[in-house]
Amino acid sequence: MLKDNLNYIYRGLFTQNITDNILSLTESNLEKVGESSKIKKRVFTIMVEGLQNITRHQEIDGEDTLLNEAGLFLMQNKNDRYYITTGNPIYKKNISNLTEQINKINSLEPEELKQYYKQVLNDNIISDKGGAGLGLIEMARKSENNLVYDFVDLSDNYSYFYLNTEISQNITSQEIKPKTVKKDIDSLKTIKEIHKILNSENIVLIFNGIFNQESLLNLLSIMESQMMEHNLNLKKKVFNIMVEMLQNIVKHGAVNELTGENLGIFFIHQKDNSYFLNTGNYILKNEVEELARKINYVNSLSFDELNEFYEKSLFNFQIDSSKEAGLGLIELRLKTSKYLKYEISDHDDKHSFFVIQTYVE
Amino acid sequence: MEKFFIDHTEDTPRVELNQEENIYEISGKSLPENAIAFYLPIITWLKEYNRNHSESIIFDIRLDYFNTASAKQITKLLLVLQDLSETIDIKVRWFYLEEDTDILSSGLRFSRLIKVKIELIVLPD
Repeated sequence: MLKDNLNYIYRGLFTQNITDNILSLTESNLEKVGESSKIKKRVFTIMVEGLQNITRHQEIDGEDTLLNEAGLFLMQNKNDRYYITTGNPIYKKNISNLTEQINKINSLEPEELKQYYKQVLNDNIISDKGGAGLGLIEMARKSENNLVYDFVDLSDNYSYFYLNTEISQNITSQEIKPKTVKKDIDSLKTIKEIHKILNSENIVLIFNGIFNQESLLNLLSIMESQMMEHNLNLKKKVFNIMVEMLQNIVKHGAVNELTGENLGIFFIHQKDNSYFLNTGNYILKNEVEELARKINYVNSLSFDELNEFYEKSLFNFQIDSSKEAGLGLIELRLKTSKYLKYEISDHDDKHSFFVIQTYVE
Repeated sequence: MEKFFIDHTEDTPRVELNQEENIYEISGKSLPENAIAFYLPIITWLKEYNRNHSESIIFDIRLDYFNTASAKQITKLLLVLQDLSETIDIKVRWFYLEEDTDILSSGLRFSRLIKVKIELIVLPD
């Protein structure tokens, strides 16, 4: 099954509500995978600081920020490590200062870093946006690792600033140890590549993790805020479709036999004024035929026939269980007025992988 | 009859059923993971409704969103009201925002399919 079981990306405007939901999404996912409270706390602190950096710096001086220049948040879990990456535009004139700050932080050992934190706190050097580097020190302390960073040219005045933090999941001793300085220098290179793809495909959100009602509600709330400026009916359509697609995973996704987790992937990309919604999840092989039959049937109906079938299913109480009302797929096709595009591929001897795409204009 | 009240949550509506005060209302969003479990006590309450007490019921539905799983349970609920309407005068008021064509068309659908008076009431945006 999916190797990296926690992996998500948000790209766009960061509001308080979006930030809160990204945090609670992480909280419930870390909870579900049984992460230790110590690691949870570290991940959380680093995320809060990183997300705050984005919200503080996301605006480009009065201009409408292009999505390519918008804030970026990535959370990855691989090789027993969590990687948290943030991205945001910054003024070029601030680069040297920021570089100096991070290099200073990276040069210090844990005990020195603690002293430095106190010193900065005492010096009370508060910039107009608050913080004054305390956030960066805190991130370095909590990760027990160097901060990895890079700048990429955006325009005459702006660069894009990437900041990558790594947290090891294996912490054995309570004592403060020297930094592990075992940097995965390539991690930022990969992320810059990912960012290019996100920009070219205009991907807003990717969630690769555990699907349950809780993560569904967080994802919904993130998208509600993201779509704030759109008209009610488009927002409602996307909301509608997301609920049906994600609840399909919650209810029908094959649960990993070892971990009991219901893993899947969900991502949204925008093209012109359309939102494309995509999900992928595991299903049991013996359910493949029935699922394909249902989708093909729904796809074969005209709009009038669909409405008729919807009403028939609404009153068909033979199909009425906590898992199944028999309406979801019909609704997806009705709400999008498009054929449902899907693909089912072999995964192992018991499971197949099911992907479906819908879009609304 | 005992009052029935549950406050809204992020994924379930607020529900108030009160025979004493003649208040019957469901409002908010409905997208529970298990819609059957959520609507069962409401449907049961209505099934056990004391027909001798009231002569009329105005049942307000002010939902701004419900998922398909909830749609089926709302159908069941309306069918119970349809049964009750044989002895009690029942009117359902179905509220929708002027812009909200989704909620309007579900209201129209129910008023066509359920034999209970369903009044569609537009709310200003």
